[in-house]
Amino acid sequence: MAGIIEVRDLWHTYLRGTPLEAQALTGADFDLAPREIAAIIGHTGSGKSTLVQHLNGLLRPQRGTVRVAGLDLADPGLDIRQVRRLVGLVFQFPEQQLFEPTVGDDVAFGPRKLGCDRAEVRRRVREAMEAVGLGFEAFKDRYTFGLSGGEMRRVAIAGVLALEPQVLVLDEPTASLDPQGRLELLGTVLRLRDERGIGVVFVSHNMEEVAELAERVWVIAGGRTALSGSVQEVFWRAERLRELGLGVPQVTRLMGLLRERGLAAPTDVITLDQAEAAVWTILNS
Amino acid sequence: MDDFEFLRDVTLGQYLPGSSVTHRMDPRAKLLALGLLIWAITSVTSYFGNFVLVATVLGLIVCSGLPLGYVVRGIRPVLPVLALFFVFQLLFAGNYDPTGSPIIWRWEAPLGPLPVNFTLTVSSLRLSIVSIARLFCLLMVTSVLTFTTTTTGLTHGVELLLAPLRPLRVPGHELAMVLAIALRFVPTLAEELERIMKAQASRGADFGRRGRLRFIQQTRQLVPIVVPLFVGTFRRAEDLIMAMEARCYVGGRGRTRLAQLEFKPRDWLALSVVAAYTAFMLLFKFPV
Repeated sequence: MAGIIEVRDLWHTYLRGTPLEAQALTGADFDLAPREIAAIIGHTGSGKSTLVQHLNGLLRPQRGTVRVAGLDLADPGLDIRQVRRLVGLVFQFPEQQLFEPTVGDDVAFGPRKLGCDRAEVRRRVREAMEAVGLGFEAFKDRYTFGLSGGEMRRVAIAGVLALEPQVLVLDEPTASLDPQGRLELLGTVLRLRDERGIGVVFVSHNMEEVAELAERVWVIAGGRTALSGSVQEVFWRAERLRELGLGVPQVTRLMGLLRERGLAAPTDVITLDQAEAAVWTILNS
Repeated sequence: MDDFEFLRDVTLGQYLPGSSVTHRMDPRAKLLALGLLIWAITSVTSYFGNFVLVATVLGLIVCSGLPLGYVVRGIRPVLPVLALFFVFQLLFAGNYDPTGSPIIWRWEAPLGPLPVNFTLTVSSLRLSIVSIARLFCLLMVTSVLTFTTTTTGLTHGVELLLAPLRPLRVPGHELAMVLAIALRFVPTLAEELERIMKAQASRGADFGRRGRLRFIQQTRQLVPIVVPLFVGTFRRAEDLIMAMEARCYVGGRGRTRLAQLEFKPRDWLALSVVAAYTAFMLLFKFPV
């Protein structure tokens, strides 16, 4: 299956040509199949955010290639808005980008910029708000800056969804949300994929979240892709992850500790449900 | 292509670590030396004198171990203003030349009853060229100060220089703190601006297109940037107040410092060299 996003040997240097230049990417690879949920994990400063900003053309490749739905981002003649419409990027703490007084207007910013007519803007805003669990009628006239942090974040995500992208990229979407808000957001992401068939890329520091949601995991370290594969394949290599300053889900660690004690705990346990099943098997044997 | 890299142009408040003589000088000495150099720069009217000043300033950048190209590029943001300034002075300053110097070129535009004159005299030509050289020198010499001095050093220096004025109710510490906070947040705001522009571009905003007579649309485009930037700045200010309160900040009274500044012999030496240089530039009769 052809990938909707293809990143090969990507390099990026910030503030190039100044004494403050900083190497952020040194040969990163990344792929996303249609309808796939992929996670990008890595230590702080490993280049995750830089990689993610290439996916919708905020940054152009300095070396290497980035292809989105067959469009080459290195091509200077490319209309970059086309790429931004295909790939919606939600920044870290996106609630800080809201600016319209009312929720409805803020979500409508994107569709209006695309030149949609009134009815179409309304439809898109309604669908986007409902997709993130904000009732259209209840929230459209609410005052933006009077919402709670979690609600503001959902408004911001709705603002990107209103562009009806094929891929949604989220940079640490659950950072500083409470457990309830976190669960709701993860549920929203899954629903978006299942109901609308959009691909999702998310950056996370929370391994439980990655284990629950992702189908493929990309580990970025020192600006390049250090590991990639299915969730099981990646979390199986706990040693290597620890070297890179990352961890594994708590239940995976628990299984490792049980094995050290001589119990027959399986190595591919990553979610709570799997762990429960594994523990029952051990207890019954 | 770096569509959103603003930090590249922001050299104000930027510090480049190094170990040159300029880096190691006492900030107070540097501030006083800057004052003397500004005096010299703003007083010399001779072409040759200004050539010497430009050379001195460039030499100063090199001696401070700063990359010449990078520092000089700091002038880029003000270049359009400088160019406009130069053209206007060149065309119109001669109309009101009080020195009565000979006219080089004059053209009275036939534009009906309103007299529109363009005049270039010997001294207005000098004024135009010298003022560009002056502005360049002022910008460069201040850059040398900020590139080689940490904000803490700079504000400490300002505070101590203003300390003797305390009996006159000059709030030295408070002024220095204002300066420190302002300088500290220039790069932060540039980063924030970059982040907000990227976020809005990700949801459909379009900052690239430029067109004539679209200034209303262009101004409207700023709303999605300016509002979050302001909201963020207020939030940041509140956080800063909280952090200062939490550390019992009460202003300068009774405050001590870990690193005490010390005026070393080399600071006296550097200051005397600069003072001598300034005196020379002020008193010497340059041929042209």
